[in-house]
Amino acid sequence: MSIEVSNEGLVQRFPGELLTHDNADHYRGRLRHELLLNLCGACRVWHAPPRPVCPECWSDRVLATPVTGNGIIFMAIFLHQGPPAAGVDYSTPYPVVTVELEEQDGLRFTSTVVGARNEEIRIGAPVRLEWIDRAGTPMPVFALRNSTS
Amino acid sequence: MTGAARHPMKDRVAIAAASTTGFVAQNLDRSHASLAAEACIDAIRACGLTREDIDGLCGSWPSASVMQSTLGIPEITWSGNPVIPLVDHVATAAAAVHAGLCEVVLVYHAAYRAAWNTAAALKDPFRRIATPGLSDPQPGPETMAASVGYAGWASRYMYEYGLAREDFGVVAINSRSNAARNPAAAMRGPMTMTDYLGARMIREPLCLYDMDISVDGADAFIVTTAERARDLALPPVLINAAVLGQVRHNEEDQTVSLRNHGQQVVINTLKAKGDFWIDDIDVYFPYDGFTPITLNWIDNAGWCKPGEAAAFLRDHWDEAAGRVLINGRIPVNPHGGSLSEGATQASGHIREAVHQLQGIAADRQVPDARRALITAGGFFFNAQGLMVHRV
Repeated sequence: MSIEVSNEGLVQRFPGELLTHDNADHYRGRLRHELLLNLCGACRVWHAPPRPVCPECWSDRVLATPVTGNGIIFMAIFLHQGPPAAGVDYSTPYPVVTVELEEQDGLRFTSTVVGARNEEIRIGAPVRLEWIDRAGTPMPVFALRNSTS
Repeated sequence: MTGAARHPMKDRVAIAAASTTGFVAQNLDRSHASLAAEACIDAIRACGLTREDIDGLCGSWPSASVMQSTLGIPEITWSGNPVIPLVDHVATAAAAVHAGLCEVVLVYHAAYRAAWNTAAALKDPFRRIATPGLSDPQPGPETMAASVGYAGWASRYMYEYGLAREDFGVVAINSRSNAARNPAAAMRGPMTMTDYLGARMIREPLCLYDMDISVDGADAFIVTTAERARDLALPPVLINAAVLGQVRHNEEDQTVSLRNHGQQVVINTLKAKGDFWIDDIDVYFPYDGFTPITLNWIDNAGWCKPGEAAAFLRDHWDEAAGRVLINGRIPVNPHGGSLSEGATQASGHIREAVHQLQGIAADRQVPDARRALITAGGFFFNAQGLMVHRV
């Protein structure tokens, strides 16, 4: 933990992301392939996105904590156009999914799905965490747990 | 939640006039301020006031200081620049009037085709300058934030209730049929279900016709005390209830469910504070920035059971007119809504409600319209409600 990237370095690794003192630990986690969400050290309730206090009990002992990344697709859309991003070609509609994570009801994380045909990416499908590189920076994504492709 | 029934402002503040420039889906050679000024001058004149009578200003763009300077309004004692949609502006202005911070507020909203919204606007150098944050670094596509969230919840709406794209299409067709009677509307040509299904897909499951249309144009309103409004040129439209509803989980991807977001707060509050409800109204304005918002408003307002809004609209379809008439009499967004009149952030919905109640809605006039319900905004952090009537 002592050789973590500086705030300045973090901003350079994640251009376009609205980095704050509240979400910096989440992005630092990405650099070491850990998906971190906030867990309250007092009441043990998770929350997302990262807030400076626990929205449940107002403790400031919120800690960016690894989740497994296992979950179920809660929403699924396919972008036929969208913002430019390295490695994203909208000629095949680009999937974006919100996944309900196994750690807690209603705790969700949004990313894309890799290694699956769009027809397989459905609400209710179980997924697991994967990591890809976007312009040299790790990005958490999902893969279907029961993919046939 | 406390204080739902505390409502000293009820019927004490009125909308005395509403005006519009009309809307076009093209880049006019005009500024934001130019469009807003035209609507403002029209609204002041429509009720027989002068600029000297205005002592409050409320809008988002341009700022109140720019509007005051543009219109040469000598002195104001209050101004506000709340965020869209427009129930916020009307409610805030009404509260300022009722509290005595000012007496006559000019509320304005200029819709302006922004450079991030259309390729044509991006080519206009003045619009690039007028679009804040355009050159800022942007995050990638892996997000449900902002308008993308409505595509996400559209997928959820279809999944939970076993619906198809045609169910969203009903909303789009109703809007277009209504816009045919509105000379202020940007899109007035007829639309069939085949047209709807054939439209370009944008954020699947939502296509081009599920999204409101980017326009140039402006609306303006005069908000004042009911007492003062009675002496003006047009019938006063009283503000019976207004609410900006929001719940704790208000991020697009953390919103609890289609049955638990800001809209439920709006509906419960309007019922607690207002004097009439959906069986009593003459015209209904559910927001339609995206078609699933409209369906969910109809569900949540209690016109039907959850998930049945599209079936409800079909059950109340007037075949001859190609549009919805609830119980054979209540039109839904008779001006064409944001989908066809233009993306006004509900200023168009409120303006049309005022015109209907003032009896000046021309070909769209609902006979002897007395009460209107506006349920504006979406799910997350901008669900709003406004009940207005003429007594």
